[in-house]
Amino acid sequence: MGDVVIEVENLSKMYHLGTIGTGSLRQDVQRWWTTSVLKREDPFFQAHGTEALAANKETILALQNINFEVKQGEVLGIIGSNGSGKSTLLKIVSRIVRPTKGAVRGRGSVSSLLEVGTGFHQELTGRENIYISGYILGMSKAEIRKKFDEIVAFSGVEAFIDTPVKRYSSGMYVRLAFAVAAHLEPDILIVDEVLAVGDADFQKKCLGKMRQASHSDGRTILFVSHSMQAINNLCDKALWLNQGKMKELGEVTSVVNKYISGTQQFNLKQEWATPEEAPGNDLVRFKSVELVPQLIQPGDPLDIRTPLTVKFQFWNMTDDVLLSTGLHLFTYGGECIFDVPSPATRCDKGLVEGECNIPGNFLNDGSYYFSIIVVKDTSVEQFYFEECLSFDIEDYRENIQWYGKWWGAVRPKFPFRLHQKEMIYQQ
Amino acid sequence: MPESKKAWDWEITSKTSYWGWSVRELWSYRHLLGSLVRRDFLLNYQQTILGPAWILLQPLLTLVTYVLVFGRLVGISTGTLPPVLFYFSGIVLWNFFSDSFGGTSNTFRDNAQVFSKVYFPRLIVPMAVTSTQFFRFSIQFAMLLVLIGFYWAFRDLPSPFSLLTLAFPFAVVCVAGTGLGLGLLFSVITAKYRDMASIVNLGIRMLMYLTPVIYPVGALPKKYSWLVQLNPLTPLFELSRLSLLGEGTVTAGQLVYSFTFMIVVLSGAMLVFNKQGDKLIDVV
Repeated sequence: MGDVVIEVENLSKMYHLGTIGTGSLRQDVQRWWTTSVLKREDPFFQAHGTEALAANKETILALQNINFEVKQGEVLGIIGSNGSGKSTLLKIVSRIVRPTKGAVRGRGSVSSLLEVGTGFHQELTGRENIYISGYILGMSKAEIRKKFDEIVAFSGVEAFIDTPVKRYSSGMYVRLAFAVAAHLEPDILIVDEVLAVGDADFQKKCLGKMRQASHSDGRTILFVSHSMQAINNLCDKALWLNQGKMKELGEVTSVVNKYISGTQQFNLKQEWATPEEAPGNDLVRFKSVELVPQLIQPGDPLDIRTPLTVKFQFWNMTDDVLLSTGLHLFTYGGECIFDVPSPATRCDKGLVEGECNIPGNFLNDGSYYFSIIVVKDTSVEQFYFEECLSFDIEDYRENIQWYGKWWGAVRPKFPFRLHQKEMIYQQ
Repeated sequence: MPESKKAWDWEITSKTSYWGWSVRELWSYRHLLGSLVRRDFLLNYQQTILGPAWILLQPLLTLVTYVLVFGRLVGISTGTLPPVLFYFSGIVLWNFFSDSFGGTSNTFRDNAQVFSKVYFPRLIVPMAVTSTQFFRFSIQFAMLLVLIGFYWAFRDLPSPFSLLTLAFPFAVVCVAGTGLGLGLLFSVITAKYRDMASIVNLGIRMLMYLTPVIYPVGALPKKYSWLVQLNPLTPLFELSRLSLLGEGTVTAGQLVYSFTFMIVVLSGAMLVFNKQGDKLIDVV
């Protein structure tokens, strides 16, 4: 790791909300008068505390006091939920928008890929678009000439290079657009979630290209993504933004783990002290429901490898009754994944406890919820406790160079064998 | 680490400067300018039957209208010049001005999408628009020369070319500079206040009647001529006719006025464009 090539100091960005109309002209005149004539600070961005500003409904602070440094050859991942200021930060570093306060300083040339196909025009042919998009992204004519064949080969649209891109399939369009971008050779590359497009094979090619750019060519990369897998694989450091503020900055795995466990949707335990306030009816009332993940280390995110245990207790109000329970798991969309019944047990009035183990490496990543049903004589419903536990499962992949969404509601690890049956020998 | 304190290559702060561009940066994007011109040219005539012939057809059709309406019906005098040459020289130069002005005045509105995704010197775009218009103008100008040649050979028009003809490029440069300057200035305004775009369009159309396009300054009643003389384009149009067709009313003082106006507007507009350009992405 070499010198510091990007320094972000005390960066803030404020946006004005609402529409621009007659009111804005008056504000503009006021602002011009105070800043240019009276040489005072912007009346709409005064120093009396950023809290006052945040409370103001007409403005929004997209970024507040961001400070960090990036060294040469480093790959910095920027994570955060939607609206946390990731894109604004990238746009400021790319020189597209100006900060309201603070500064970004840097060394070397910068190229930004904030969308796929910047400068592409539907009516122009693939060839013309390669040139115009290349120029817009900052390539020189000699550079494009030199790499033209490589770009075309990378995109795989050789046969259609002289056809207007409006006749391309959307996949071809994206591949060509990305191929141009992938051949940029700036000192600093800024990439915003462009990997979300294209098929799996192409994503792999793109990530490979980015890895090569940083590891072998020593390029510095700022990378925004919602895929924690991609961030983990590509980045050395990560910055977690939350509502425009820096939440965490540091080594990538620790930041990503904190981010995942910090944003996971949990409703892992519900408990009621007395039957009066507990959910249920005259027959059955729940005392507690709990989901216990068997994490290797406390604070780890709950991912697809984690074994889960569902524990519940309920008050049974009837004597001498044959009770059984059913554990229903649903996806967030409401699709039932399984309905696991317990053995039927003869119970008297009092507290009944149940426990069910769900092995690790069984569920896919996603959001899920449990419902529990209590049944009498294996046929009569006593009480159905709907959506009593909800939770998120994070993705985890090892040795897999693909970052798309894994299909299916479950992702079981079944024994799977693949071997070469016979070989064809060629003379 | 003391090394890291050495000078930075670039810095981005809230301050935008009037001198925020360098010739070297613009030069490094010259190929972008070239391909934008090429793109605009291709796009205009893609999927049309007549293709680039429209560059000539459009002013020729305007010419027919003017000859019929203003020449025959209204009967505006064109001096001693044949109406066809008189109108066509006016139309060609006016189109150049109005298309440069109108085209560049929408810079931010038309390019908001690409401006919000990538940085390049914004000045490239209005420069490309003016270059495209200049290219069209050159073709139309060649047509004008053909017409003049025709009248000279078959209609006994005395050879209009003299030393004064050398002044024609000056008129063209001043018209281009004024159009680009006004366009840059209004591009900043239309970016924020959209209603200005319609006002610009209307203004350009009205301005045509205050410019000697369909009438010579010499034919104006004294009462109104000061209004037309106030228009800095007037001396340039008169100069263009004088240099190409040998008839026009213009003094050196008026030309100094037009030239000064062009320089002031163009340099002022460039400064405002640089100062405001980077801030406008927030509002377009």
